[in-house]
Amino acid sequence: MQKSVVIDHLCRIEGNGGINVAIEDGRVVKVEIDIFEGARFLEALVVGRLYYEVPPILSRICAICSAVHTVTSLMAVEDAFETEPSAQTQLLRELLVQGGNIESHALHLFCLALPDFLGYSSPFALAEDYPQEVKIGLGLKKLGNTIQETVGGRAVHPVNAVLGGFGTVPTKKRLLELKQELTKGLEEALAAVESVARLRIPDFSQSPTLYAALASSSEEYSLFGDKVIFSSGESRKVSSYREICNETVVPHSHAKHSHFKGLPFMVGALARVMLNGHKLDSETKKAREKLGLGSFTENILLNNSAQAIEIIYSIKRCIQIIDQLLKRGIKNEKPVEIRPKAGQGTAALEAPRGILYHSYSFDNAGRITKADVITPTAQNLANMEKDFRALAHNFAGESKDGLRVKIEMVARAYDPCISCSVH
Amino acid sequence: MSKPKIGIFGMTGCAGEQIVILNCEDELMDILKVLDIRSFHTAMSKNDEKCNLDIAFVEGALVQPEEEISLKEIRKRSRLLIALGTCAVWGGVAAMKNEVSRQRLKDIVYGSPGRIFKSIPAQPLHSFVKVDFSISGCPIEKEQFLQAVASLVHGDIPVLPKYAVCTECKINENTCLLLEKSELCLGPITVAGCNARCANCGIPCSGCRGPVEEANIASEVEILKEKGFTLGDINNQLRTFAGPAEAIQTHLAKR
Repeated sequence: MQKSVVIDHLCRIEGNGGINVAIEDGRVVKVEIDIFEGARFLEALVVGRLYYEVPPILSRICAICSAVHTVTSLMAVEDAFETEPSAQTQLLRELLVQGGNIESHALHLFCLALPDFLGYSSPFALAEDYPQEVKIGLGLKKLGNTIQETVGGRAVHPVNAVLGGFGTVPTKKRLLELKQELTKGLEEALAAVESVARLRIPDFSQSPTLYAALASSSEEYSLFGDKVIFSSGESRKVSSYREICNETVVPHSHAKHSHFKGLPFMVGALARVMLNGHKLDSETKKAREKLGLGSFTENILLNNSAQAIEIIYSIKRCIQIIDQLLKRGIKNEKPVEIRPKAGQGTAALEAPRGILYHSYSFDNAGRITKADVITPTAQNLANMEKDFRALAHNFAGESKDGLRVKIEMVARAYDPCISCSVH
Repeated sequence: MSKPKIGIFGMTGCAGEQIVILNCEDELMDILKVLDIRSFHTAMSKNDEKCNLDIAFVEGALVQPEEEISLKEIRKRSRLLIALGTCAVWGGVAAMKNEVSRQRLKDIVYGSPGRIFKSIPAQPLHSFVKVDFSISGCPIEKEQFLQAVASLVHGDIPVLPKYAVCTECKINENTCLLLEKSELCLGPITVAGCNARCANCGIPCSGCRGPVEEANIASEVEILKEKGFTLGDINNQLRTFAGPAEAIQTHLAKR
């Protein structure tokens, strides 16, 4: 007897993709995430362009993650030319990235994933019965956007973050206003954790998972880091990202798949909380306990809860950054000068959905000869297929509709960004 | 009065326009009071794939043959079709090197296993269907989208500026990056609506909103050449966001 679950177009995620699962006589015979989003070939299109033209073009890989694409791209170019931006620039860049993390997580958690847990088809339908929850979610989302606008000059595809620094630095007054908004946002985020903690998060999707996240030498939880650590205890330098991801082309997907030592792995908020959660501050750790993430878990649906934890973390970190900027005294400094030369540069950052790599080669004139971008969603695809296979195996006897709902919830828990995955 | 039935659709792009719509955090619930959203895959399950629509908002460029079929289906069921964003209006970043064979691009990005993927040079919506109204921008400006919705629900066609970013920049009294700082600024030939966001930050306009009507590209190119930019680099920047635009194609064909 054959049973197949065909999801032509997965909804409440960013981009265009479907899922095909087939079971024959209780045996799973097919599991494919059909990424039919069109390829724009951006890595090939930038070849020949001047180094400073690259970040704004590659920002267009994705709207939701445009801040982190921009900053990672700037860092990869600067790595190639051995340029070190000022401490103020580094703080402002992190502020921009944290703003993006807040916005992206709030959008996913409250607008796209929450309807699953409360039995609604959209945030609009949800808002009719849970106006307060949706309002808090939209408020946090707006806070993330306000940060991105203040630092990046635009909420989507920032214009103000450039090589070596910023076009214009935010004023002290603006930073103080932002701090006030963040302080208010923190209260709302902490209240939201209470709401998320009351949700019943099902545990139907559990299968052995290898987590990967960036690690920094700092004692504090961070979205930055120069090495990649795995839940297996192994670690690799960011510069050897090709050996971490080992990308391969699969016929059913315009996005490549990644495997580390032959195994799929998971990147994202859950991987970060699993691997770096011990570095969170005590208040955020309390939220972590409340949301059931104090110990190791392989329940992927808890990625949603991990995002709630990170909203708290990112807001607190933004307040800390603003305090540091104000203490140092915000300087109206110009971007540091870039001296292009032939070479290669690589950078990685934790995007909302996991580790993002940009790696470029340049000729003597500073023209790009090769670009390689590996996005978190592309890294997660093989792991998602592994989870769907386990689900189909464990629930082979369940109705098609029942299995479909479970598959969709798991897919959405990864917060896939399909534009990113193909690019 | 019944609410207009609308659909929000995405071809290929960064989803920036759909994200800007969702970024209307303060207005989203009011939008729902005046629009009946029947299809919006990014935000809703249970989309109505068949019903007739009063307005279809479509973002993204077409980069594969299947998209032509789905765009034509959207056109057939919609009274008005509105192109949202620079990809939908002008082709966007994916269309910056349409003269390069797709096979070559596939080989660079995927190697030989990618040859099975179908791909066409990136094109804006109007290459395939009638577009009733266009809102450009990479991404679109939230205010322009909201103004357009307000006009449309009252049965009016929205009004957008027909002048250049350069005008907005002058009103803001920014230092001229093109003439005084000799930077490659496309403000004089790019359609307004962003309030000169980049130049306000001291960054030259990259032309992300596409060309303004009757853009004097020849004059812009002459100024840039005088400033020392090579024709190759000027053309690269001109083609970054709106390569297929007639004004830019005409300029490129002159060589």
